[in-house]
Amino acid sequence: MPSDSADSVGEFIQGESEPSSSWVVLAFGLVLSLATLILHGMLFPGRDLPVISDILPVFDGVFDSGIWFFILGVMMGVFAIIATMMTEATSE
Amino acid sequence: MGDVVTSMAFFWGLMLLSYFLMQNGMWILNDVVKSMCRFALGKALGPAIDFVEGREGSASKTWMMQGMFWLILASLFTFEGLWLAYDANALHSLSSWGYNPTSDSLLYAAGFAALYGGVGMLIIACSFHIIPKLADTELASEKNGTLVSYLWTLSVLFLVIAAHNSEILGVNIFLIATALHGLAFLAVLINLLLTASERKSALPLPGWLIMLGMLADPVSVVATVLGGIGSGAVQWLLAHLVSGTFFFATLAGISLYVSSSATGNPLWSRSLTAVTTVGAIATITPMGYSHGRMAADMLLVSFEEVSMQSTDGIAVAFLMALAVIPVMSLVANVMMTLRGGDAFVENPDSAGVPEINLGISMLLPLAVASLFIQSDALSHNPELTGMSSTLVLMVIWLVLVPLSLGSAQHLFPSVTGRNLLSANRSRWAFWMMGWGAFFGLTITMMADIAQIEAAADSTGIMSGEVRVVGAILFYGAAVGAIMHTLNALSGLYRGTPVSEGRATSTSIARDDYSLTTPTSVRKILAGGAHLDTTVVPVGESDDPGAPTDLH
Repeated sequence: MPSDSADSVGEFIQGESEPSSSWVVLAFGLVLSLATLILHGMLFPGRDLPVISDILPVFDGVFDSGIWFFILGVMMGVFAIIATMMTEATSE
Repeated sequence: MGDVVTSMAFFWGLMLLSYFLMQNGMWILNDVVKSMCRFALGKALGPAIDFVEGREGSASKTWMMQGMFWLILASLFTFEGLWLAYDANALHSLSSWGYNPTSDSLLYAAGFAALYGGVGMLIIACSFHIIPKLADTELASEKNGTLVSYLWTLSVLFLVIAAHNSEILGVNIFLIATALHGLAFLAVLINLLLTASERKSALPLPGWLIMLGMLADPVSVVATVLGGIGSGAVQWLLAHLVSGTFFFATLAGISLYVSSSATGNPLWSRSLTAVTTVGAIATITPMGYSHGRMAADMLLVSFEEVSMQSTDGIAVAFLMALAVIPVMSLVANVMMTLRGGDAFVENPDSAGVPEINLGISMLLPLAVASLFIQSDALSHNPELTGMSSTLVLMVIWLVLVPLSLGSAQHLFPSVTGRNLLSANRSRWAFWMMGWGAFFGLTITMMADIAQIEAAADSTGIMSGEVRVVGAILFYGAAVGAIMHTLNALSGLYRGTPVSEGRATSTSIARDDYSLTTPTSVRKILAGGAHLDTTVVPVGESDDPGAPTDLH
């Protein structure tokens, strides 16, 4: 990838094959998250953020802490690694 | 003479003996011992050895990938441990499966996973590549190196289980873990010693740092067992000897090699390298836990609180203060080598170099902070004990992990023949991991200080709320570890082959460059100039200087 002053910041924050406007999605996601947090604070003052069991009652008593959002995120990452391993090994 | 001083005397004596034997061999027994070791590494293992490949670099590659996988687990355990310090019942739903983790058990398990799984495996991966290169030979047994990596992983798995529950169905899990770990370590050591014995020329100092660091691990175990491992002070000493040799000395050698190899600059100072080598062996590093629980558990002796005699206390304080000298030498040497005369001109975006910069920048402040914490912990009325476990986490995630991971990433193309899949993803992962660990642990330390100040429990509003913020920020380290692993894994299959070369990009670009003094084209390029940069000579005058006229 050649170095070019006009695109240098773009190169820094983009993956090789990402569309150049993908940063809009990232920025939009960040703004949306902050807006949701503020809205929750206004609508339900003093209440904790909802956890998975609040959204999906079937998991009541299981995923009843915010830590599970993060653990599920790591599990998705681990599955992504396993999937990458399998697809890379079998792609040819 | 106290137990600690006796153990140190044994340690120094045994290290001198090991160095002498490495230099001079074992006289008439040389050939016999070498043949027996070769047999032990290969044919003695029977058909098992044929299950793995013996191509050049395969051992290093296997250790590297498994080390990265362990970093994911280590970061997850650390995150959970930090979170449970805020909400002890967050994982209560797992109790129905018989798993009842606490913050302490998770952080203890994270210590094993990060130190022996992540950092340890990456150190050995780099050593398997660097020692043959410096000795101008090949690794004694690639097949054994590859096979033993799985044994090591199994031992770390048992250590992690034992950290949660040391006895299952009446079986001591630490016993199994220690046996497997000892066997794997012995095989690695024999492999490296055989490789070094075949050296075609004198081994450079970074090579000696690695070899002595590896040798010092079993030597320190023998020395402390002879000195009386039942004492809490000796258990503490063993933990710090292993920390200062297997982790610090080997990483110092690896960092020095990589800093030179990544930039194309020669090592800045040979004398400082020698100071680091001697200092790492002659002193006691303050970096590490303020107790010897890990050492006691791994050696299957009952854990004792640290209690030192006055002679031992004075000797330990003196040797810990001296340990700052090798740290300073290493930091100065690596930084100046990285900077060089034409910084990064060879490859400004070389993967791993940012991690090494981070690790080496954090080394000195954290070593000095550890000195204060350890001195306090060994005093009669310790006041800073509440901060010690967070400081150890900082040493692990801001020094040991960046240095080992950065080195492994830099060596990845030489080992596998392919580059990492994406330099950009590498940068993203670095920022996620570096800042996640830095901010997460800094905020956790703020909570520790608040707790010490308030002398209240962690469920208090101040420290409790701050702790959860620290845990969430540390989650970046887990995401960074996953991104690094994905990048390396895909690079194994689809990374640009090294033989084809790889264009690199940089975010630093300059449209004009002011030339004040005569200089080389290399230095101009190192300053961020490219082919279209305008070089502007700045005018000079030989007129004598005078005060600036303001009117």
